[in-house]
Amino acid sequence: MADTLVSSDRSPDAAPETEPPAAADREVLLAVSNVALSFGGVKAIQGVSFDIRKGEIRAIIGPNGAGKTSMLNCINGFYHPQEGTITFKGATRRRMRPYEAASQGIGRTFQNVALFKGMSTLDNIMAGRTLKMKRGFFWHLLRHGPAMAEEKAHRHKVEEIIDFLDIQAIRRTPVGKLPYGLQKRVELGRALAMEPELLLLDEPMAGMNLEEKEDMSRFILDVNDQLGTTIALIEHDMGVVMDLSDRVVVLDHGELIADGTPAEVQANQNVIDAYLGVSH
Amino acid sequence: MDLLIQTIWEGLVAGVLYALIALGFVLIFKASSVFNFAQGIMVVFSALTLVGTYEALAYREITGFPAAMLALIITLGVMYVLALGIERIVLRPLVNQPDIILFMATFGLTYLLIGLGEAIFGGAPKTMITSELGLPTGSTTITLPGMGPGGSEGLVLIQHLDVAAAVIATIMIASLAAFFQYTRVGRALRAVADSHKAALSVGISLNHIWVIVWFTAGIVALVTGIMWGARSDVSFALQIIALKALPVLILGGFTSIPGAIVGGLIIGIGEKLGELYLAPMILGSMGKGVESWIAYFIALGFLMFRPQGLFGDKIIERI
Amino acid sequence: MTESGARAQTSYDTIPKLLLRNAEQFADLPAYRQKDLGIWQTWNWRQTRDEIRDLAIGLYVLGLKRGEAIAIIGDNRPKLYWSFCAAQSLGAIPVPIYQDSVADEMAYVLDHSEVVMAVVQNQEQVDKLLSIAERVPRLRRIIYEEPRGLQKYDHTRLHALSEVQAVGISERHRNATADDWWRGEIALGKASDVAVMLYTSGTTGRPKGVMLTQENIVVSGQNGNLFDGFTTNDTMIAYLPMAWVGDHIFSYGQAYAGALCVACPESPDTVIDDRREIGPSYFFAPPRVFENMLTATMVRMEDAGRFKKWMFARFLNVAKRAGPAILNGESVGLADRLLYNLGEVLVYGPLRNRMGFSNIRVAYTAGEAIGPEIFSFYRSLGINLKQLYGQTEASVYITLQPDGEIYPDTVGKPGPGVEIRIAESGEVQFTSPGVFLKYFKNDEATADTKTVDGWVRTGDAGFIDAKGHLVIIDRAKDVGRLNTGALFAPKYLENKLKFYPEIREVVAFGDGRDFVTVMVNIDLVSVGNWAERNNVVYASYQELAAHPDVYRMIERRIEEVNAALATEPRMAGSQIHRFLILHKELDADDGELTRTQKVRRPFIAERYAPLIKALFDGSREAHIRTEVTFEDGRKGIIEGNVRIVDTKVFPGTAALKEAAE
Repeated sequence: MADTLVSSDRSPDAAPETEPPAAADREVLLAVSNVALSFGGVKAIQGVSFDIRKGEIRAIIGPNGAGKTSMLNCINGFYHPQEGTITFKGATRRRMRPYEAASQGIGRTFQNVALFKGMSTLDNIMAGRTLKMKRGFFWHLLRHGPAMAEEKAHRHKVEEIIDFLDIQAIRRTPVGKLPYGLQKRVELGRALAMEPELLLLDEPMAGMNLEEKEDMSRFILDVNDQLGTTIALIEHDMGVVMDLSDRVVVLDHGELIADGTPAEVQANQNVIDAYLGVSH
Repeated sequence: MDLLIQTIWEGLVAGVLYALIALGFVLIFKASSVFNFAQGIMVVFSALTLVGTYEALAYREITGFPAAMLALIITLGVMYVLALGIERIVLRPLVNQPDIILFMATFGLTYLLIGLGEAIFGGAPKTMITSELGLPTGSTTITLPGMGPGGSEGLVLIQHLDVAAAVIATIMIASLAAFFQYTRVGRALRAVADSHKAALSVGISLNHIWVIVWFTAGIVALVTGIMWGARSDVSFALQIIALKALPVLILGGFTSIPGAIVGGLIIGIGEKLGELYLAPMILGSMGKGVESWIAYFIALGFLMFRPQGLFGDKIIERI
Repeated sequence: MTESGARAQTSYDTIPKLLLRNAEQFADLPAYRQKDLGIWQTWNWRQTRDEIRDLAIGLYVLGLKRGEAIAIIGDNRPKLYWSFCAAQSLGAIPVPIYQDSVADEMAYVLDHSEVVMAVVQNQEQVDKLLSIAERVPRLRRIIYEEPRGLQKYDHTRLHALSEVQAVGISERHRNATADDWWRGEIALGKASDVAVMLYTSGTTGRPKGVMLTQENIVVSGQNGNLFDGFTTNDTMIAYLPMAWVGDHIFSYGQAYAGALCVACPESPDTVIDDRREIGPSYFFAPPRVFENMLTATMVRMEDAGRFKKWMFARFLNVAKRAGPAILNGESVGLADRLLYNLGEVLVYGPLRNRMGFSNIRVAYTAGEAIGPEIFSFYRSLGINLKQLYGQTEASVYITLQPDGEIYPDTVGKPGPGVEIRIAESGEVQFTSPGVFLKYFKNDEATADTKTVDGWVRTGDAGFIDAKGHLVIIDRAKDVGRLNTGALFAPKYLENKLKFYPEIREVVAFGDGRDFVTVMVNIDLVSVGNWAERNNVVYASYQELAAHPDVYRMIERRIEEVNAALATEPRMAGSQIHRFLILHKELDADDGELTRTQKVRRPFIAERYAPLIKALFDGSREAHIRTEVTFEDGRKGIIEGNVRIVDTKVFPGTAALKEAAE
């Protein structure tokens, strides 16, 4: 008992003792294959293929207009690519509807925050439970019996998320009145309420100050770590991307120009050129 | 004094009914940001369906209250099918189109329903099955306290139907508000009203919500149709009352349920009071038609000071 | 009191013994509440005892011994309060540490106090401790309450609090005598044992560890309850740092002594909502909290409809007129009483409810002077807000305002068992049952603070007024004299001015001078609002500060203060003769304020030497050039001319009267 804590101390970000399999060796959760998308004559995505593996944090980066958000929109069914396929949990489909994507376990947040502004934080996150609610419409009209018990169970789940994100103080506040950083947090909470297998985060740290970014990074890591949720995120802050992600996909002008670990991608000449604006 | 109270009472009843029509608009506007031009004809169509179905039943010698209830249920079914059809044929193909396209589509819907209605029920006015539905008729005269019983001094005439209309409309509005605020579907409706893409992302089905909203609007239309139909008769001219909803909406805001209620009451009472006090002051033909333009006049005044309406979302133009 | 009663009394002379008593006598009454996942959880005294017992046995198994110190770090939470009592039941000494201290500050206290274990709230605190582990070699084990984020840490010396309790439970299952053993350990405790060590953040030098005995805590707790008549029906909300003596006495000493209920907020951000839900009957807050609450109310009323605003203003006037008198039990005219009752229904009641004061019986403020306007606002609403004066070295209580004797400018009369005296130098000294044992490993400081005859030097200058109430004027070392011989208490003057919303900061000068002058910082929000309303256009703080109308406004305020000072016997001589409004806001980034927003006098005196010279040499204007640091860290220069204005002073009425007596 005389020895100090130092000898056995391990800082939280040091490598764990038993190394889990490297991200690239894990099971594929989602595969995008030869996806092409165009609006009118404008090609947003051209023949892009990559995969997202179970339990990893996958970053999608690229200069403005690279097609990153379009890619997320294809994955959760907002856009229907003209070519290529998306395979999620082993099922391949040409086009997925947003409702299907959500019910299969894909949750997401948006670049400029899409919340239900008139509703409270609690109601927003409750709305994330929509698909988990089994009792029919008329039970809810009655607000009675099993429907109430179910509502209570969902409320408990939502409270856990509120606790997790440390937003107890804004539980009853209409989200439209919240500062931007907190809105982003509520939006994450709503996506988490879906208990998604794959969480798509579109610039989760845009417009945040340093402290808010640190908080959000910690939440993302905790979600990945403790809930085992697979995460795909678009982010502009390279420091954040390098710290958080296991693997990185780089898009430029709708094409995939690099795919690999953060270190590999950083050293890739195509990537350097794309960010420096070298013409093709 | 008695005249004033009589007028205010009548205005109040009219106001509640206006609020009901406006509510139909607000519901659909909130959920799909469409100004539903067809709301007026939906009132007529639903009322015609009710009366028409009853007549068909009567032809088979089923009459009275049970027949009226049966007709009511059938009509509700028709309104549900209508909502389903509208969602499938009109809304779904036009999703992500500009609002004006959807607005035009409701024009088309209007003429479709007029045509359909005339083809099935004929163009002649029908009489609402008021007493068969169990709605009260007749009237009561109330003597105001402190006024002599002689002559018509201090007497206020109250139509029983008006009382029923006010009560039913109030219950309707209250239960709709509760539905929105406290149920899961209500929460989903509010979610859709706030942000379509966010609602989609959590797996709320827009198609499902639209059917519910249009069906709810259909129910509101049916109740409106019964009430107005009972006061005059059921004819295609009735769709004009939908136009009365316009000033109510301007007053109350297109997105606010409380706005629809307060707006309805202001217009209703304003109209009757205008008729009472303003009409004698204005000579000629203008004076006779006070009731038909005063509502727009009030709305116009409001537009100048609060373009977003009494309760509407504040419009902030960013430059 | 009968002989047996007296004996019974003495047998409850430590907190753990009080715990056993409460678990017997008040078993089913609520002891702790905490909001968790949106729902209030309650532990009664029996459950509390059992939780503490299991924790204590677990701690013992992990190696905590009598006389060893154990750090407690985190927000106010039942489990952390239990850790205090669990440690004390084993004869160990809890050392609470401010949870927002940076790791470096913690390292000093942890090392100095010779802590061997630490009970902390969460990952954040664990990380801090791990980062300074090599500087606190004695620290053997860390116990955390919230497991989140800690799963992957090395757990050889890291334990979840729930696991420590589980160890205690299994030990009890294995060993039938464990419970008796624990009670035996409690019985070994004596009133003279060191109960807790509280580190005071001295303004100079390293923090000192104030050692308080079980007797200090228990008797202070009993006296506090006695003074305001607290019973088992009273509930308080614990939200101020556990490392602060106030919380330790109110939420721990008094809670155990009187079996009161302590409610812990869900998180530090939810205190107001939680307070509204709990409706505490006892509440303590520093003046800042009351100030913020008032501001929030006023801001909300600004946005309210016209009728509501009118009603609010109307009834606030009634309250101002009649409220304090009604609360003090004085007679009030029938009309005012009726209006006040109406206001109660329409305004005061809802307002109190909004603030979470629906059930409040007693509220205290201390630590700093409270603005008289703010003080009487709360009292006029029927909230029994009082002031007290206390110190860590006194186990809080020195003076308190008894019910019915409430004055905005005094801190009350000596509490039960307390005696006070004013030394030659003007310093307040006291002796009481709460007087601390000594500073840990610092006999020099102990000797400086405790006189040979057992009195404690507070370091504050003050006087006892005609009503027998203590008035605190300043830190003793800051009090100086004018060349006229008149007393110069800078903070006393500054506070009087700072109570005006237009004035944000004031620095007074006068020690060794012929008269008093002040430098003023205007409040940009308040004066900015005024400027907007009066169409005064300004581009910068500097421009607004130099505006002639702003100068006139501040001049009026200073003259009001002078008029008030003229009526005070000791202060009439220190009326303000000249002032200027500074061209920039005093800023912690520029080193002008401490991080806790206190003025750093010597630094300012040096930096603004040309201005101070001009204040005293009669010039009408002075030129100044200062370097400033912007928010993003860039540096720049602000320069300009600052106008100096003479103010009216009043003949000292009270001073004359006193001289005549």
